[in-house]
Amino acid sequence: MRSKLPDAASSRKMAASSAVVAILASIWLCSSIAADASGSSSETTMHTNNWAVLVCTSRFWFNYRHMANTLSLYRTVKRLGIPDERIILMLADDMACNSRNKYPAQVFNNENHWLNLYGDNVEVDYRGYEVTVENFLRVLTGRHESAVPRSKRLLSDEGSHILLYMTGHGGDEFLKFQDSEELQSHDLADAVKQMKEKHRFKELLIMVDTCQAATLFNQLHSPGVLAIASSMKGENSYSHHLDSDVGVSVVDRFTFYTLAFFERLNMYDNASLSRLFNSYDPNLLMSNAYYRTDLYQRNLQEVPVTNFFGSVMETVHTDSAYRAFPQKNTPRETRIRTGKTAEDDSRRSILTDMTKAECPFTRIVSSLESKMETVGNLDSLVNYGLVMILPVLVVSVWLST
Amino acid sequence: MWLPLRLTLLFLFLLLSPRALLRSGSAAVVSGEEEEFHEELLLKPLPDRKVLAHFHFHSIAPPSKSNGRHHHLFPKAISQLVQKFRVKEMELSFTQGRWNYERWGGFDPISSNNAKPPGVELWAVFDVPEDQVDAYWKNLTNSLSGLFCASINFLESSTMYSAPKWSFRITPGSLRYGTLPREAVCTENLTPWLKLLPCRDKAGLAALLDRPSIYKGFYHSQRLYLTSNASVPAETVSGISLEQTLTVVLQPNSPSSSSIHSGESNFQPSWSLSSIFGRKISGKCVIAQSSIVYLQLEKSIFSEQKDNMDNGPNSLASEGFAGGSGFEMSLDPDIVIEEENQSQHKGSSVLYGFWVEKYNESQPLDLGLKWKYPVFWSSQQAPLHASRFLMGSGNERGAIAILFKSTNSADSSSGSRHVSDGCELQVDVFQVVPWYIKVYYHSLQIFVDDEAKPIGDFVHKIQVSPSKDKTSPGMMEMLLKLPCDVRSAALTLEFDKGFLHIDEYPPDANQGYDIPSAVISFPRFHSVMHLLSNDSIRKSPLLSRFQEKNRVQSYTEVLLVPLTTPDFSMPYNVITITCTVFALFFGSLLNVLRRRVGEEERYLKAGKKKGWLRVLLSRLLAKFRGKPMEEPDQPSSESAPLIGKKLVLKVILVAVLAVAWQFYST
Repeated sequence: MRSKLPDAASSRKMAASSAVVAILASIWLCSSIAADASGSSSETTMHTNNWAVLVCTSRFWFNYRHMANTLSLYRTVKRLGIPDERIILMLADDMACNSRNKYPAQVFNNENHWLNLYGDNVEVDYRGYEVTVENFLRVLTGRHESAVPRSKRLLSDEGSHILLYMTGHGGDEFLKFQDSEELQSHDLADAVKQMKEKHRFKELLIMVDTCQAATLFNQLHSPGVLAIASSMKGENSYSHHLDSDVGVSVVDRFTFYTLAFFERLNMYDNASLSRLFNSYDPNLLMSNAYYRTDLYQRNLQEVPVTNFFGSVMETVHTDSAYRAFPQKNTPRETRIRTGKTAEDDSRRSILTDMTKAECPFTRIVSSLESKMETVGNLDSLVNYGLVMILPVLVVSVWLST
Repeated sequence: MWLPLRLTLLFLFLLLSPRALLRSGSAAVVSGEEEEFHEELLLKPLPDRKVLAHFHFHSIAPPSKSNGRHHHLFPKAISQLVQKFRVKEMELSFTQGRWNYERWGGFDPISSNNAKPPGVELWAVFDVPEDQVDAYWKNLTNSLSGLFCASINFLESSTMYSAPKWSFRITPGSLRYGTLPREAVCTENLTPWLKLLPCRDKAGLAALLDRPSIYKGFYHSQRLYLTSNASVPAETVSGISLEQTLTVVLQPNSPSSSSIHSGESNFQPSWSLSSIFGRKISGKCVIAQSSIVYLQLEKSIFSEQKDNMDNGPNSLASEGFAGGSGFEMSLDPDIVIEEENQSQHKGSSVLYGFWVEKYNESQPLDLGLKWKYPVFWSSQQAPLHASRFLMGSGNERGAIAILFKSTNSADSSSGSRHVSDGCELQVDVFQVVPWYIKVYYHSLQIFVDDEAKPIGDFVHKIQVSPSKDKTSPGMMEMLLKLPCDVRSAALTLEFDKGFLHIDEYPPDANQGYDIPSAVISFPRFHSVMHLLSNDSIRKSPLLSRFQEKNRVQSYTEVLLVPLTTPDFSMPYNVITITCTVFALFFGSLLNVLRRRVGEEERYLKAGKKKGWLRVLLSRLLAKFRGKPMEEPDQPSSESAPLIGKKLVLKVILVAVLAVAWQFYST
């Protein structure tokens, strides 16, 4: 801005500089308002449903374990209450009926063969050649051809909690699909950003079991995203054990210990996500599990694992008679009705904030006020302001002389 | 949880329906026909010590106004599909393994109707104007892929389907046909198929379907065939008949067969339902109108027994389970149906029927068959056995050959039967070839009894639609008329292998590409069972299906063509090499252009005397002053302390400013 100023007439200099200050201030205000609005909307949206996108990206028989990983997670989330129509299962190859499989129509994730993961009721939505980066990104962003059936779409909404699990072979900031193409961390971050823009999720947990998995999250910026990776940069993710009957490794370490954690749980347990995160032992994993929590607002100790891995809804107690479910774009009504619980006052305050925000001027003022409060030390703010003005003053004086 | 609900619903329905009928006589006429469901299972020992199990489920929804969009038994998903995509007739099959025409038969209704090519085969006839058919087909494939958890949506691409005119079906209408030879078939395809049944796999015959034992088999083919009577008024919902069949060929592993490995291996293995499937039938699906298990045996078994024993009783019915015959059934059949022996045709058979409703949880149906003597028989064969193979070598060109061999058993009978036709053997060939196999149709050659013959003598009718690159596959329809006494006939077609765009290669491109099965049919031969008419036969959809006149049809092998696959790492190699070459070239060029050897030597000498920091500083200074640095030795020694002073002053100034700032701001 300042570089443009010398071209203008000297008499206007002061006015121009003050205008610049005003513009700067207004931009700052606008951004703060926007941040405020988006923050409040994501917080007030109710948790509506749970979705799971489970992806096995590896083809070929020797990658049996990746399919077993994915199917184990499939079984777990189904056991914890996510129905089949809200699970998108992508399997890049057919292992169960593979001619190399000694146990046709069965897939095991342990050499004791106690549990057939490929039971009588598996619904695979994308399989074989259909598991491509393109289709994966289409599922996430919801940009399908019109003919694609509902069972192949991720029909989540702004109140959805989504679990995205991926396993396969990967490296620094990429994950290989079918041994022929790659999903890069930029692609993933871009897709997540689009999902956020399109209100396709409220909270998203990305779990990746691959080599150097942590690098896949480097580009993520969208709020509400939580990420778990099996290994740090430069580390490998190893398989857990080999089944000599099947002839290949049947499960990866990270997934194995994740499952070991979940096998002890049922739908009604309140185990928190931080308990899950702390259950990973680097000595057992032979790699360091990585968690990215900076984009996630809630305290992990208070978030139960069923928030993502199950479908456990918060029940809303209403004193009034049954009414139709409130529409998504009017979350205030639910607040009013839930206002009779213990957290009465806090919710009322949110409510009043929301009503104030109706008028644009009062909205600006209130947000300015709230900003002022958050800054805390008012003196330092004033000082900063003075210092910011000083160079502008100096330059304008220098130019006018 | 579903079953009791369904049962109660049915019960309620049964309670209410007679009253409704009484109340309104006119309405009763409309809803006179009710939805029906039949379940049947046919078991048949095969000559090569295997067992064929053929499940047949039939649901019928009559056309009605009263039902609206709702059904009692009929699967809603299918009726919606039919309504939405105006499907007149459709067949979808999922198959793994190859039907062995030589051993398991090629003439009977099961092999003509239920032997399918590996992978997925779909054809459909639509009740829409010809220009809209492709759009309907695309939507149908996508819907089916969602319904059956398979990649049927790959058939939507115009390179994957074709529209046969007359060789595939006699009255095609607006028919579309497509196959996916490499599609995997597994439980995720069977489960949605079973969910279309009113009892699912929880009760009735479908409860036998234990997934591991089915998929362990040599061949399994699950099929869905539906017909709807189109041309109904707009208000009424058209009636649909849905036929779901599952054909499995299994190897019974009875303990006795393993113990008699020494010398007595001629014995057919004895088996029972529980030894094949690991389960028993504990009652019928309550909603089913009929629930019958059939055991089919070839009549030639009995004749052989007569030869062996010389004192066999005449009545077939008593012979089967009477003591002293070649086999023993664990249960007495409720009905015996014999095939009418119209001609001297060898292969006719006997059916033993068992009513499932007689059995329950405490007394489950576990049909078993035990052989007492070694028996041999052979299955009925189609007049010609067709096989297909590739010729040529290399990655550039090749040839497809279809070889017809006369089957000995059918030779005499067909010859004697069709003498009146001037003894011509008609063969329809329908073949679809993907576009990247560029077939030269003019190179068609015919060899009859190993001699090259002119094409015009044998090819009665031929229709070819050549492939268009990346647009449509090549299709060939041909009607051959061969002499009856032909021993072998071969067709060859040459082709070139095309190139694909790098994006079009599948991830496992090195495995090769599939040419879908060719369909070989014999229009003059019909696979019909002439059963002695009986009331029970008319009720049974399976047997009435067997009595329909269908032409004998068989599928050839899928061909695997290796295509030239590029080295997929090539782009990266090219990029790396090019970059290296560029770097070397420009690096050395710059070096040559910019290098001044004399200067460098001087600097080297100077560098030895002074520290590198001083040289750097003096250079920087020279740059700032805009003067060329000419006398490196003398001024540098003087200017260095000067710079030092200034620099120190500046640093102190900045530090003071920073401290003041910090102090003021806190």
